[in-house]
Amino acid sequence: MSDDATRTLGKGSTPPGPVPEGVIRLYSMRFCPYAHRTRLVLRAKGIRHEVININLRNKPEWYFTKHPFGQIPVLENSKCQLIYESVIACEYLDDAYPGRKLYPYDPYERARQKMLLELFYKVPHLTKECLVALRCGRDCADLKLALRQEFCNLEEILGYQNTVFFGGDCISMIDYLFWPWFERLEVYGIADCVNHTPTLRLWIAAMKQDPTVCSLLTDKNTFLGFLNLYFQNNPGAFDYGLSC
Amino acid sequence: MSGGSARSLGKGSAPPGPVPEGLIRVYSMRFCPYAQRTRLVLTAKGIRHEVININLKNKPEWFFKKNPSGLVPVLETSLGQLICESAITCEYLDEAYPGKKLLPGDPYEKACQKMVFESFSKVPPLISRILRTQNKEDCSGLKEELHKEITKLEEVLTDKKTTFFGGNSLSMIDYLIWPWFERLEALELNECVDHTPTLKLWMAAMKKDPTVSSLLTDVKTFQGFFNLYLQNSPEACDYGL
Repeated sequence: MSDDATRTLGKGSTPPGPVPEGVIRLYSMRFCPYAHRTRLVLRAKGIRHEVININLRNKPEWYFTKHPFGQIPVLENSKCQLIYESVIACEYLDDAYPGRKLYPYDPYERARQKMLLELFYKVPHLTKECLVALRCGRDCADLKLALRQEFCNLEEILGYQNTVFFGGDCISMIDYLFWPWFERLEVYGIADCVNHTPTLRLWIAAMKQDPTVCSLLTDKNTFLGFLNLYFQNNPGAFDYGLSC
Repeated sequence: MSGGSARSLGKGSAPPGPVPEGLIRVYSMRFCPYAQRTRLVLTAKGIRHEVININLKNKPEWFFKKNPSGLVPVLETSLGQLICESAITCEYLDEAYPGKKLLPGDPYEKACQKMVFESFSKVPPLISRILRTQNKEDCSGLKEELHKEITKLEEVLTDKKTTFFGGNSLSMIDYLIWPWFERLEALELNECVDHTPTLKLWMAAMKKDPTVSSLLTDVKTFQGFFNLYLQNSPEACDYGL
């Protein structure tokens, strides 16, 4: 079972104590793609961590002392330092912890990964809009067209680079930063958006073979169970699939 | 010297040759706040560079090969490597060049600068919209939003209890946000810092920085540029030359 398989904390919950030394804490939610980025990096770098899941529809009052708007993910270390924004959190972990570096050392290659991230910026919003439209029974042909265009841009990059992953022939930070939205294409009902992008499909297949990505894959039925409850505004959605 | 006062290149101009070794090139525009970030970092770090100004109202065809979006700033190295997006160019320069580091070495302090940068992110598009808005009503709504964003920054600085956003010395985050504060007076938006005394002190301290002051543009020149730019004049980018 994943190390984040714990019930969410909601309104009226007791604030958690300080973070023990030697551990970093992640405030998260099991199905959130942004928090997923941070969980991938924590796992990829083998960083000892604890996860506190937050009920996003019923946020604990104390959580606003961790993030001004109550968003996730947020990292908290044993010095009470708080880091938020998923990309900032991921870079912080890469800088602060030893071992395998996920960002390249070369300044130009680092800059390239950051430029690639800029190219990706419309994808999260578009995938979410498609999901909402489909769930509400609305037509989303225009949205899917726009999403396909974004995927074409990414396809072009991979084709031009002639590498398996976005950062080269090994998986690196940029791949982990993109991954959560690709993992969700199927459950969101928009897997056909990669029909015309074969190189991107190869990348998806290669990502699914990565041990870190694999270890955090969410099973399709669990995800669908979450989505069903979420769209019924059921506050129990976030704990779907947890035993007891 | 920075050579930032050269006439801009427009449609039909010959593409520049490769960048000589030992130099880095920035494609810029004298009044662009985003490009100013990069020029501030180049100057602060004493990096040998050449500037090619682009006529943003009449872009050369060859410029889209440097950046498909046609935006400045873009860095080009003697190896032909191209780096776009102002914040990315600034971080690249800090990492690639020796000398004084503008970003902190401590991972948490560096993350803090990036979090402040995120809090600032609504300001540039707001100021852009205010510049383009003729209607007084719409403008007052936008000005209120700007005032809110600026108050957030005042709170950040007051909480830190330091002169600058990264501590008691000037650092990357200060250079990244400065260009928009430099333009407040020319845009008649000084009222937005009326109730933010800590920010006012910060602005005064920034103006004393040798790098900032070497790249300062006076109010009248900005206004001359804004006037022509809003009329989409191809002469705008070379105003004052």
